[in-house]
Amino acid sequence: MKKILIYLVMPVFILLFAQCKKSEDPASAKKTGALVLKFEHFADNASLAFDTLHYVNAAGNTYEVSEIQWFVSDVVLTKADGSKVELDNNNFAHYIDTNLPETAIWKINNEVPAGEYAAITFVFGIKGEKNMPFMFTDPPKSDMLWPSNLGGEQGGYHYMKLNGFWRNSAGEREPFNFHLGVGQTRDADGKVTGFVQNWFESTLQGPVNIQANQTNTLGIRMNVEQWWEQPHVYDHNTIGGKIMQNQQAMQMGVENGRNVFSLVQHAEDPVL
Amino acid sequence: MKKLITFGIVLPVFVALVTLSCSTDTHEDLPGVEIFQATPYNIPQARFFPKNLNIPSDNPMTLEGVELGRYLFYDGRLSGNSSNDMLMSCATCHIQEHGFEVGIDHPKFTGGRTFGLPTEDHPNGKPTPNFMLPLVNSVYNHNGFLWNGFVNEGNEQLGTATIPDKPEFNFKNIESLVWMSITSSHEMNSTIEKSVAAIQAVPMYKGKFKAAFGDEEINYDRISKAIAQFVRSIVAQNSKFHKYLRQEAELTSLEKRGHDLFFSEDADCFHCHGGSVLMTTNEYFNNAKDKKFDPADRDRHAISGDPMDIGAYRAPSLINIEKTAPYMHDGRFKTLDEVIDFYSEGLVYSDYVHPLMKNVRQQGVQLNDADKAALKAFLLTLTDHEMLKSPQYTCPDELKVWSGQ
Repeated sequence: MKKILIYLVMPVFILLFAQCKKSEDPASAKKTGALVLKFEHFADNASLAFDTLHYVNAAGNTYEVSEIQWFVSDVVLTKADGSKVELDNNNFAHYIDTNLPETAIWKINNEVPAGEYAAITFVFGIKGEKNMPFMFTDPPKSDMLWPSNLGGEQGGYHYMKLNGFWRNSAGEREPFNFHLGVGQTRDADGKVTGFVQNWFESTLQGPVNIQANQTNTLGIRMNVEQWWEQPHVYDHNTIGGKIMQNQQAMQMGVENGRNVFSLVQHAEDPVL
Repeated sequence: MKKLITFGIVLPVFVALVTLSCSTDTHEDLPGVEIFQATPYNIPQARFFPKNLNIPSDNPMTLEGVELGRYLFYDGRLSGNSSNDMLMSCATCHIQEHGFEVGIDHPKFTGGRTFGLPTEDHPNGKPTPNFMLPLVNSVYNHNGFLWNGFVNEGNEQLGTATIPDKPEFNFKNIESLVWMSITSSHEMNSTIEKSVAAIQAVPMYKGKFKAAFGDEEINYDRISKAIAQFVRSIVAQNSKFHKYLRQEAELTSLEKRGHDLFFSEDADCFHCHGGSVLMTTNEYFNNAKDKKFDPADRDRHAISGDPMDIGAYRAPSLINIEKTAPYMHDGRFKTLDEVIDFYSEGLVYSDYVHPLMKNVRQQGVQLNDADKAALKAFLLTLTDHEMLKSPQYTCPDELKVWSGQ
């Protein structure tokens, strides 16, 4: 009879345990914290004011910004000893759109090993091997399409669209599209002969402290005027309003871009 | 002993299983109660098309619902009338062979200018404020409907001057467009009560409503949901361009030249119209048509209040564009050639022009004749001939005398 009882009751308990989620042993839990990236857009050391023609760039162009849409990807934290933690969290690229305020917040990873990191590195845009045409099928990301005739098979999406106006040499308010993505090499007739990957890594020095069992917020700031300041003074009057087919201009943007971003330590978490 | 095992051990353990189980999903079967379930309708998932569909949770698509919606879409009695000269259905203006627009060659709506059923004030019908937009691929649109996006999920307005301010009469999605069309003085010019009564009086609908919704009740809510289901089912995924992307077709050299112009800053169409296979971003742009703007013109500014949206309208999909003349919200261009000429050398600057119109100070992208011909050749590859003839979207035979077409 005891055997019958055991045979009857045991499977039931096995079922019970199998259905229930195991409770974690606090002692064995990893010490991790969540990381949230908050993206900001600044000009002249203040939060960017959109649609007002009052900024002046290094070339002396008076300009305004209407909207900025861009991708950040492949975020990595680096410790002082050189060890790295990749934070892709199965969503390697994040889209930021100043028309969509919610995109300024990226809850990138909930389980970042706690500790002090020396730097954070990210890719501006998307690496070529990941930048597949039509990999994004839904708006708004899909609207960042960079045509394959201008970017090949590894240039599927704009890295950034920065749209605005400048006062041209005739004193007129004229639109510009500072769009960065894969460039082209061309022959004397203008025919495309190859493609140039223009994505770049930006490393921002910390320290970056990840507190265990907390949501840690880091600010990444785009200082807009720096796109046109150094090492190249970028003059809209010389270059004009469009650069997707002007690799020389995009190269200037890319090299200036290494000075565009800065790290902001936020005391308060954003409202999520 | 058996009782002891049964009541003393096994039963409590099973009770514990039920009460302590970690699963929160419980299903109850009610004996004798028949649970209605229509057949799910799935939007064909063509390669590169969006996966995020605009299907409200309270109106899932079903085969029966879509089919009922097709009947109602083509039934002129929806206008609340039964006399032949007063019939108006959705299909009176939304014509399949024109991408569900009216087209420019309609014998009644001359030049594509539509108007409503006659009223005392307008014995010839009140003109609709703007020209038509196509009813194609709307299931992929999450950014509002109509030229200025008035109908959108964020719209909290309820009712109109003639409609009570009840939650069911909102302005949020395609369902709303149904009763808006019924009651609008420049469309069916009817009342909801009158229209519902007219449909209730048609015997064949009882069975169709039962098949779609589980019982024979015919009401406004079900009518709008069924028509919305049918409209969402209208997808265009098989133009030559779509097949080219899927490597199922080749473009001619002229079409490819046009493609490369379209998808470059040389013609620069793609920033507004080509972000995806939908051939639209569904965003709103002031595209440099005018210098002055009238607040009465129902632009995007009327919805957003943003001064930068003055004179801005939706960038419509270019799918089937050769069939959807006239063009622009006010139908000012009659042909594709006129549209291409406009973007080439006809732009005019205003303080509200969208910055994507970056060639506005040069009056346009300045295409030569060969480029214009190539661009037009590419635009003609955007016609989905299969969709324009597909039987799944055509008028049911028994409604041809009632369609108001």
